[in-house]
Amino acid sequence: MANTTIPLDVALPEAPPAHLPRRRELLFGTGFVTAAVTMGLVTLIGAYISARDAAGVAWLEGNEIPLTQPNMQLVTLGMSLVTMHWAVYAITRDDRYHAYMALGITALLGIAFVNQTTFLYRMAEVELTQPEGPLFYAVTVGHLLMMIAALLFLVLMAFRALGGQFSSRQPDGISAAAIFWYVTCGLYAIIWFAVYVQK
Amino acid sequence: MALTETRPETERRDDTTPAPTPPSAVERLIGSGDHLTIGRLYIGFALFFLALGALGLGVHSLDRMTVDGVLGLTEVLRWTSLVAMVLMGVMPLLLGLAIFIVPRQVASPAIAFPRAAALSLWTWLIGGVLFITSAVLDGGIGGTDTEAVRLGSLSMGVMMAALSLGSVCVATTVLSHRPLGMGLARVPFFAWSMLVATPIWILTFGSTIAHVWLGRVADADAAGLTVGFVDGIAWFLRAPSVYLLAIPVLGIVADVIVLATGRRLSTYGVMQGLIAAYGVASFGVWTQSPGGTENIVWVAFVLAAAVPVLGLIGLAGENLRHGKVNASVALVGALLAPLLILGGVAAAAVQAVDQAGSGNLWSLDAQMLLWAQASFLLGAAAVGGVVGLAHWSPRLWNAAAPQGAGIGAAVLLFIGSGTLATIHLVQSIAAREGEAGLVRGALFGVTIAAVLLIALGALSALAMVLGAASAGNDTPAPDDDTAMTLEWWPVGPVIAGDVDVEVPPVTSPYPLADLREGPEEDDA
Repeated sequence: MANTTIPLDVALPEAPPAHLPRRRELLFGTGFVTAAVTMGLVTLIGAYISARDAAGVAWLEGNEIPLTQPNMQLVTLGMSLVTMHWAVYAITRDDRYHAYMALGITALLGIAFVNQTTFLYRMAEVELTQPEGPLFYAVTVGHLLMMIAALLFLVLMAFRALGGQFSSRQPDGISAAAIFWYVTCGLYAIIWFAVYVQK
Repeated sequence: MALTETRPETERRDDTTPAPTPPSAVERLIGSGDHLTIGRLYIGFALFFLALGALGLGVHSLDRMTVDGVLGLTEVLRWTSLVAMVLMGVMPLLLGLAIFIVPRQVASPAIAFPRAAALSLWTWLIGGVLFITSAVLDGGIGGTDTEAVRLGSLSMGVMMAALSLGSVCVATTVLSHRPLGMGLARVPFFAWSMLVATPIWILTFGSTIAHVWLGRVADADAAGLTVGFVDGIAWFLRAPSVYLLAIPVLGIVADVIVLATGRRLSTYGVMQGLIAAYGVASFGVWTQSPGGTENIVWVAFVLAAAVPVLGLIGLAGENLRHGKVNASVALVGALLAPLLILGGVAAAAVQAVDQAGSGNLWSLDAQMLLWAQASFLLGAAAVGGVVGLAHWSPRLWNAAAPQGAGIGAAVLLFIGSGTLATIHLVQSIAAREGEAGLVRGALFGVTIAAVLLIALGALSALAMVLGAASAGNDTPAPDDDTAMTLEWWPVGPVIAGDVDVEVPPVTSPYPLADLREGPEEDDA
């Protein structure tokens, strides 16, 4: 086995400048996708309200939808807004430890929301075959899917943050996940009022 | 200072192990994230599908010449053909052009999210093939086979989602890939028009996809899905939403006029404002509710779109009057396309007047008026697309577009779509579909002639594209002394990857003209 001695100035030439993705590209892309999803859900909520108004008191007459569960979901998402913003705040200050912790707690709250939603479905017992069923599930499952997408986005960005791709110089990934998360929470607030409170 | 390194023991490579085979041409094509390839594929398939959609409408019209149906078909080809011409024809044509040209206009070596752009292309293509398959199986939109109609509805949603994804890539490119000095006020007109168009496309499709999703959740049957389409989705084919098809056309026309005259547009910001105003007027998601067209705001929206189009025509005319005009295929088409947009606005105005007051002044058929508006705007988008292809042909295929095929395509599409729209206007006023006899036969006969012209126009455009592509080569073209915007830089052939060149400084909307002539006094 041979040992080789290499002068360092020959072995390690000047490193090329670090390549960073274009700033704000992911933010713009996420913004557009979020706008499209929001428009879809707002359309469904509008259709739901219109149908409910047309049906009058007969709407969801045979179902018991408790308000405690939706309230808890709203509070859960409210807390996640704080932790999500904590993650953005931490990564823009290169506080990686707190960024990871905030992302983890946010994901946990998101999973709790998904669990609460499925529990609510079991309690509400709204059937797809009843007149309200398609619109009720189109709205709420649509939002549930949005939340799952937000969770996947968050986990992906958290892994990339763990890989060192985001920092105060390039925080876009976490910020983009936060944009999608904020809007998902905001849309739930509308659904909470339009579907659960106004039922 | 020195570094001592010991080479780790490695397994000796067996010289007989075959080297990995390089990917084949097909594998490279499918796996490509190159915006040039993606744009070209979008354009080629879109022109083919546009012709196919027009032929489908022709077959439907042939069948409807008698009350009982000449061919005994269902209503499947009626809405299906229109949706195919829009979602598989003109929109992907303009999007493909944008995916190719917009990064070059902002001097970017690549489109934003290239893999997403490729995903958009292949998803759209698969959605399109499934849509055609469902139509063949008596599904599509308005068919009678429930499973096939469900496939048609799903594939329509897939195409909308794919086009939205491609739009995200284009809009993000304009926003985040611009070179130093190119503020939004200096973005070339086509890139600007795409920046205006894509958010509106994205929002509109976000809303229509929601209805597709609702139909899926409701597990609706064929009849239910057809009703769902007419009540919940077809609104995007009538004014003001249908105007969105032509937003990029305004940008193309403006770019063509500037290059054709070689004269800088002194009121650059005004032109950008007109395009933006037209975009705002084309946002019609809010009109989808029942009665959404029966209010004064709707009337204001559908009529307001005429103002920016007339303004654009005025500015273009001013430039043509003072500039030294170089006649070309693109210029001819650029003069025709705005007329079709105005036709669409006029058809919407007829509907607005009809609905004024008590609500039904002339008792016109609203669905026929929708078809008239859609046909006008479809034609405007198709002619605009051909104009763009002819204009940027030296960049797209390294060769000028064949003049004959180009002019033929633009004129055929103009006459075909104009006639199709007019015949629907006539049908809305005078003769309803239910009317039997000679009038019915004549109306559908004219419709067949019109859609055949559209199909021929699309095929002529395809011939133009193939002609330019086969004539193109890698020989550098001579310097163009009229180029003004950055898609013409560097002057010469388009070679994928050959974009690592220094971009001239951007101190005005016309960096290449500045490089040649020096900045204008206002810009300096």
